[in-house]
Amino acid sequence: MTIIKKFETTEPKKGFSKRYIVLSIVCLFVLMLVEIWAGNNVVAYGEKFDKLSSIAKTLHLENQILENEIAKYESLNNVASKSAELGFSQAESIQYIR
Amino acid sequence: MRIFWIQTVFLLFFLSIIIRLFYWQVVRAEFLQSQAENQHFTDTKIDATRGNILFSDESILASSNPVFSLYGLPKAIATDQKVKVAYLIAKVLSEDPTEVDTFAKDVTAKLSQNLYWVQLEKNISIEQKKQIENLNLPGIGFQQGSTRFYPEGSSSAHLLGFLGSDARGASKGYFGLEGYFDGELKGMSGLVRYERDALGLPILIGNFFATEARDGKDLVLNIDRSIQFIIEKNLKAGIEKYGAKAASAVVMDPATGGILAMASFPSYDPLKYFNYPKEYFKNPVVADQYEPGSTFKVLVMAAALNEDLVQPDTRCDDCSGPISIGGFVIRTWNNKYFPDTNLKDVIVHSDNTGMVFVGRKLGLDKFYSYLGKFGFGKTSDIDLQDESSPDIRPKSDWREIDLATASFGQGIAVTEIQMVRAVAAIANGGNLMEPHVVREVKDEKGSFEVKPKVKDKVIKDSVAQIVKEMMVAAVEEGEAKVFRPKGFRIAGKTGTAQIPVAGHYDPNKTIASFVGFAPADDPKFVMLVRYDEPSASIFGSETAAPTFFEIAKQLLLYYKIAPSE
Repeated sequence: MTIIKKFETTEPKKGFSKRYIVLSIVCLFVLMLVEIWAGNNVVAYGEKFDKLSSIAKTLHLENQILENEIAKYESLNNVASKSAELGFSQAESIQYIR
Repeated sequence: MRIFWIQTVFLLFFLSIIIRLFYWQVVRAEFLQSQAENQHFTDTKIDATRGNILFSDESILASSNPVFSLYGLPKAIATDQKVKVAYLIAKVLSEDPTEVDTFAKDVTAKLSQNLYWVQLEKNISIEQKKQIENLNLPGIGFQQGSTRFYPEGSSSAHLLGFLGSDARGASKGYFGLEGYFDGELKGMSGLVRYERDALGLPILIGNFFATEARDGKDLVLNIDRSIQFIIEKNLKAGIEKYGAKAASAVVMDPATGGILAMASFPSYDPLKYFNYPKEYFKNPVVADQYEPGSTFKVLVMAAALNEDLVQPDTRCDDCSGPISIGGFVIRTWNNKYFPDTNLKDVIVHSDNTGMVFVGRKLGLDKFYSYLGKFGFGKTSDIDLQDESSPDIRPKSDWREIDLATASFGQGIAVTEIQMVRAVAAIANGGNLMEPHVVREVKDEKGSFEVKPKVKDKVIKDSVAQIVKEMMVAAVEEGEAKVFRPKGFRIAGKTGTAQIPVAGHYDPNKTIASFVGFAPADDPKFVMLVRYDEPSASIFGSETAAPTFFEIAKQLLLYYKIAPSE
């Protein structure tokens, strides 16, 4: 006697599994939190960026002013007056050694 | 029926919303968008820094200096706070502590005006700005500006020109280098446009557009600051010593045409140019015309020798006394005559009759042609804004007397730069160089070097050598020999030209000059010194020559050149 086992077909599940749906929602939620966190930080960086730009500009200006100050102290008019104050004078006669 | 009316009311309601939306979204879209952009975006103009002007050793002659203006917003400061704010500002800005009250009252008065914006102080330093910023005062702000900075003070004013404003208030260079190179020096301003938040701070992830500012180019000059200092010092001393109305000097490298120094007095302060009359602004070395007098003789002599019309040992057969031409009598400067003199002695004694002899030998056609060859009658193309050239009369208008007087440098007008470069052609073996103040134009991307340019070969090497020896003899045996530095071979020639006044020459008003080069055998510099109307002596040999030799002595030392004899 041959026993023929009846083969029962399983019906395919419709839609996503609950697990995937929950995982997606959690991911979206995490992304949302990350976005809020990043946005919040970036806003704070805007202020930092503004301050740094202002500092860079001030340093650039200070650098320019210092360069000018150095040039003023190095100027021949200044050197001549300082050397006169210190008692230096022009050579009266020059001896050439051969 | 009731349903119908309700439907109609709803329909009209939605229709009005759609119409209103259409109006905002389509009809007024552009206007609203631009208004929103104005609120969301900030435009910041980035000013380009004006280029520096540097000496040949790249030390600063002119640069930009940041300055700040302090302003107040009277309506943004509470009335009871104004006095307090004014006192805090006054404490920082008053140099003298006793003036704090006066200063504060002045600031209070300004802040009490019925204005939205008021300037409180100009040109405050960056330190003062920082101190005021730290006070965190309401309604107080700063505006950045820039002025020119001259570490050497008013030195080289004529050479530099000055920075003023155009009709629209924008910075613009006038005269000298500032005028000639304004396009290169001023650069191009940039613009930064970024999105901002409600507090006005930049949004980093927002839109950002930037056009970078391009700073102006730097000019590196041929001007040697030591030589510039030496000639300015000596000219200042000379103008006082000789009681001259004006003085100027120019030093040029004969090999390259590079201008090593250039100065004129009376001068002006380029920072406060508005306090000086306009006549002071033009650079006399390139813009003033004058009659060169005897300094011109060496050029006429060079032309005649170059044409083989005379030789150094040619004897003047017309030098035994005054010469009459067309009703005019031509005499020597001291009324002494040297019959049968040779041409070297014509230069040594600065003999006018001898030069009339040479001029006649040369003839008008060749004389006129050599004027052009030596660069007279046209600009030298020096890189300075205010250059002009006196016109030379058309050849057809010349009479015999004009040729005769022009042969000893009267009745013909030149500029100093024309004269010095013509003599440089004798110094360098016959090449007429294009004079240049600027050696290099550079920015962060690279540099452009101004190469020496020979405009023309005017005279033969051998002729330049002969004229040079004549000029050496003029220094060693001429009227100014007592002033020359001993042991050096210097080539030079004095000049004393009367000044034409109302159709005749005033015998008491002269232009005294001296042109020469040293060392004669390997010239490092060619120099011209000029005094206008010196009162101590009218002669170039007693005014311009001593100044020339004093400067030459210091320059030879500066170049580390020992005496050859």
